[in-house]
Amino acid sequence: MAKLASLMDYYYESMYPELKILEEHRLHILSKLKKSALILGLLFGGICWIVIDTSFMEATHAVAASAMSGGMMFLLFYRNEKRGYTSLFKDNVIEKIITFIDPTLRYQKEAFVSESEYRYSNLLPQTYDRFHGSDLVEGHREGVAVRFSSLHVEEKRHTKENKDEWHTLFQGLFFVADFHKHFKGRTYLFPDVAERSLGGIGTWLQGWHREHGKLIKLDHTTFEKQFVVYGDDTVEAHYILNHAFMERIVSFYEKERKNLFIGFVDGKMYLAMEVSQTLFEPNLTQSVLTFTHIKSYFERLEMVFGIVEAFKLNQTLWSKYK
Amino acid sequence: MEMFLMSMGAIALALVLMYNYLIGKKNQVDNIFASVDAVLKQRYDLLPNLVATVKEYMTHERETLEKITELRAKALQGGLDAPAKMALDSQLSQALGGLMVAVENYPNLKANENFLHLQHTLNELEEQIAAARRAYNQSVTDYNNAIEMFPTNIMAGFMHLTRRPLIAITTSERRSVDVDHLFKK
Repeated sequence: MAKLASLMDYYYESMYPELKILEEHRLHILSKLKKSALILGLLFGGICWIVIDTSFMEATHAVAASAMSGGMMFLLFYRNEKRGYTSLFKDNVIEKIITFIDPTLRYQKEAFVSESEYRYSNLLPQTYDRFHGSDLVEGHREGVAVRFSSLHVEEKRHTKENKDEWHTLFQGLFFVADFHKHFKGRTYLFPDVAERSLGGIGTWLQGWHREHGKLIKLDHTTFEKQFVVYGDDTVEAHYILNHAFMERIVSFYEKERKNLFIGFVDGKMYLAMEVSQTLFEPNLTQSVLTFTHIKSYFERLEMVFGIVEAFKLNQTLWSKYK
Repeated sequence: MEMFLMSMGAIALALVLMYNYLIGKKNQVDNIFASVDAVLKQRYDLLPNLVATVKEYMTHERETLEKITELRAKALQGGLDAPAKMALDSQLSQALGGLMVAVENYPNLKANENFLHLQHTLNELEEQIAAARRAYNQSVTDYNNAIEMFPTNIMAGFMHLTRRPLIAITTSERRSVDVDHLFKK
């Protein structure tokens, strides 16, 4: 594992010169945003004053309309600037950190785990209307083939006012890795929301859910409190989820405290972890010349790669060597 | 009259549901036991090959090897009920465990590719057996709960359903098999 101390050396030796240019760019964008906010404020303030002065509209309506129009224009401008900065940030920071962790890993900032793979896993089976993502990382970690990206899956909902609204079904990390055991069926585990909130009735209701196979009870009390397991084959689910593996999942969950959805399908482990923003979103207000800021992205990446070590996916069975 | 018929209908429905529920639990235990049996059979099939490979090297372990062969023959005779099968299996697991410890004294055997393959296949099977036993115990616990809890215990009494014993699972079986450690040997 790449050590933090060597990351610091790498940061100053290989990243710092380019980060200085990126920092200048960031400050330039901030300055542009401030200027545009001022200009838009003056412009729409002036328009508002004229409208009120000519009695074309009521004062409250004029202020609201001006603020809204000015705000929307600023937002468009901000998004455009942020997009450009994000792209540069990913080239100069994220890609560099990934190369530092392992030069054989491939990173594509605009690509993401394919929709067909997402659907094939059936991990989150809800129908959706929009599927997008970013930050695809592919390669091998500890000899295990891994692939992950940020995903954002949404559905369109009609409101009572007959308007369309986008509703997030899943946002976060989608991680795919080769699993170290043979299995034929499908096994899934999800956060045990029903049992936690409704107790015995929740368990009874879970028994009626057949989307992912039958409800399977496991012999690990803490794990059972946190997760609900479904699958085609009870024995196979016990084989995949042995005690040590359940403990690893519990430890990972207790460390990260994020909703976890895990599926074991066709020799692979699919893991979806809810995160409220994209994995490597830059913060325009934070300087890239502070090591702690860069370190936070490194730690996020190490957390994702750490899934291989945390779940010991590298303990390949003998027959899988063949 | 209507009320009486409705009550009778509700009681009949409850009886049918309870009956089906108990049959479901009983069949689940039998189905999972069949899985335990299938994976045990896979291990029995592996044993002749294992014994043949190791007996050339492990000249001082003849007694253990004979015991393994004898236990396998007993298990394959048939006509054994579930507790008897499990008892045999437990003895076999112990004998195999002892054999694998003794392997440490035979460096030539440890370097034998065929033996290594067999050892790791056995390792995988042991893990599958452990999983099948745990699944079996879980299904037996569900079944035992169902036949002892009110009101299903009344129906279970009429159906002459009795408690099933759990399979004893040792601490070592609860732990996962450390394959990585084996590879480093």
